[in-house]
Amino acid sequence: MPARAPQIVALGGGGFSMEKEGSLLDDYILSLLDAERPRVCFLPTASGDADHYVVRFYRRFSPGCEASHVSLFRRDQGTGGVEDDLAAHLLSQDLIYVGGGNMVSMLGAWRAHGLDSILRKAWRKGIVMCGPSAGSLCWFTQALSAFHGAPRPVRGLSILPYSNCVHYDAEPARREEYHRAVADGMSAGFAVEDGVGLHFRGTRLERVVSSRPEGRAFMVQSQGSRVLETPLETHYLGETLKTPRTIALAEPVAA
Amino acid sequence: MSATGAPPGPVPLQERSIFAMGGGGFTMEPANPLLDDYVLSLARAREPRILFLPTASGDTTPQINAFKARFTGRTCVAEHLSLFRLRETRRPLSELVAEQDILYVGGGSMRNLLAIWRAHELDTMLVEAWERGTVLAGLSAGAMCWFQYGLTRSSGPPEPLEGLGLLDGSLTVHTDGEPERLPVWLAHVRDGTLPGGWALDDGVGLLFRGRTLDRVVSSRPGAEAQRVDAIAGELVRRRIQPDLLGSRANDPLGGYDEAVEELRRVHRLRRGTGGRRS
Repeated sequence: MPARAPQIVALGGGGFSMEKEGSLLDDYILSLLDAERPRVCFLPTASGDADHYVVRFYRRFSPGCEASHVSLFRRDQGTGGVEDDLAAHLLSQDLIYVGGGNMVSMLGAWRAHGLDSILRKAWRKGIVMCGPSAGSLCWFTQALSAFHGAPRPVRGLSILPYSNCVHYDAEPARREEYHRAVADGMSAGFAVEDGVGLHFRGTRLERVVSSRPEGRAFMVQSQGSRVLETPLETHYLGETLKTPRTIALAEPVAA
Repeated sequence: MSATGAPPGPVPLQERSIFAMGGGGFTMEPANPLLDDYVLSLARAREPRILFLPTASGDTTPQINAFKARFTGRTCVAEHLSLFRLRETRRPLSELVAEQDILYVGGGSMRNLLAIWRAHELDTMLVEAWERGTVLAGLSAGAMCWFQYGLTRSSGPPEPLEGLGLLDGSLTVHTDGEPERLPVWLAHVRDGTLPGGWALDDGVGLLFRGRTLDRVVSSRPGAEAQRVDAIAGELVRRRIQPDLLGSRANDPLGGYDEAVEELRRVHRLRRGTGGRRS
């Protein structure tokens, strides 16, 4: 059997945790899985393993999936999360869903438990990876973090050789901050609004999907002393989900 | 007085304080304020600024609420620092840490605590705060983190984990409340994989001035500390009877007598929070 291509669906915001009718992005992600009852594991690390987040995950995914979660804060307390062999469990999934929150705290905790290398291995193996917000930023080389002080570029896992900026429409200053960071030498990358997902096959952007008719994503790169922002063709899932089409983007971003 | 401008320089070693609790304080003893009042008394400021770091728990709401319930209404300025919840503060971490008189670290996963601090470079800021004379306090993971080593259950079974190393030796906590820890710690001290150190019951706290143990206190009658060392492969264990806080003989600050308790009842009634919480 040929190996499955690595895939990441990076959401600017949205999915079960953020949208009341947030099923469209989650449905799109589930449509990428072959299994009839896929194994889906949730990593709520970026929220500090917040209970309400874990509950919402199970509410959304346990009806159709073999749902589980890994808690890195309560490994001693038997809270129903996976506790023994994290690597074996994660590497047997069809989908790993990374929750939102604080990316720097999440990556710190992941490293302490060896999850960073497990997740790289899982991606190479063809397990689909996805998540909103911090669950998107973490896959990229650099992310714009606006946590405690002025926004600044922070390092992610560097699986996708670009930068990433999420919630692009949520804060008026975001766009200017991201453009300034790219002008100051941050890698070229993708700015993504809430409700919009970037679907990567390998490290190549294959498709941009949205749960909202007006959702947008942009490629942002510096050219000489200027910063160019190019809108990406975005497919509203409310119309296209039933007949997904592969639409080539004009120009894949160079690494 | 709290620092408002540039943080002051380092203070002499003997003026640096760390208070390490085996368990207790507002998260574990909501009806017993003795250890937390003792923490406040360690600051030089009359109305100290106290910052709670709930990092080891993942910034859980119950811990933050218990902190507010304990310190709101006491003579202090109380805040908490979340490293998970976005946009609770956009002030630089270094600024927030530098203006405190007391940094109080909660319990939870010691492994996550240290890894997340390092990811935010908070470990360096805390060491610098200690050097400036800011009181460092904490329980459980928040106590073991200051030592060379602690014994953590962050990954399930108890195992040694390196701490920040401001204090020499190793620490194990909840000796009475989680009895599975002590034998593992003793075995590691005996075979030399851990340096000697202290084992603390819930409710017991060690006060260090510089790197020297200055005082052992407790919020509960009967709670104990022990100092353990390995000498030629044999364990030498020494029991330490803590000073029970709240009794006049042990508490030069006036203690926890009936008049104080009465006054606090009045305060609680005025705040409308009623009686004891369970």
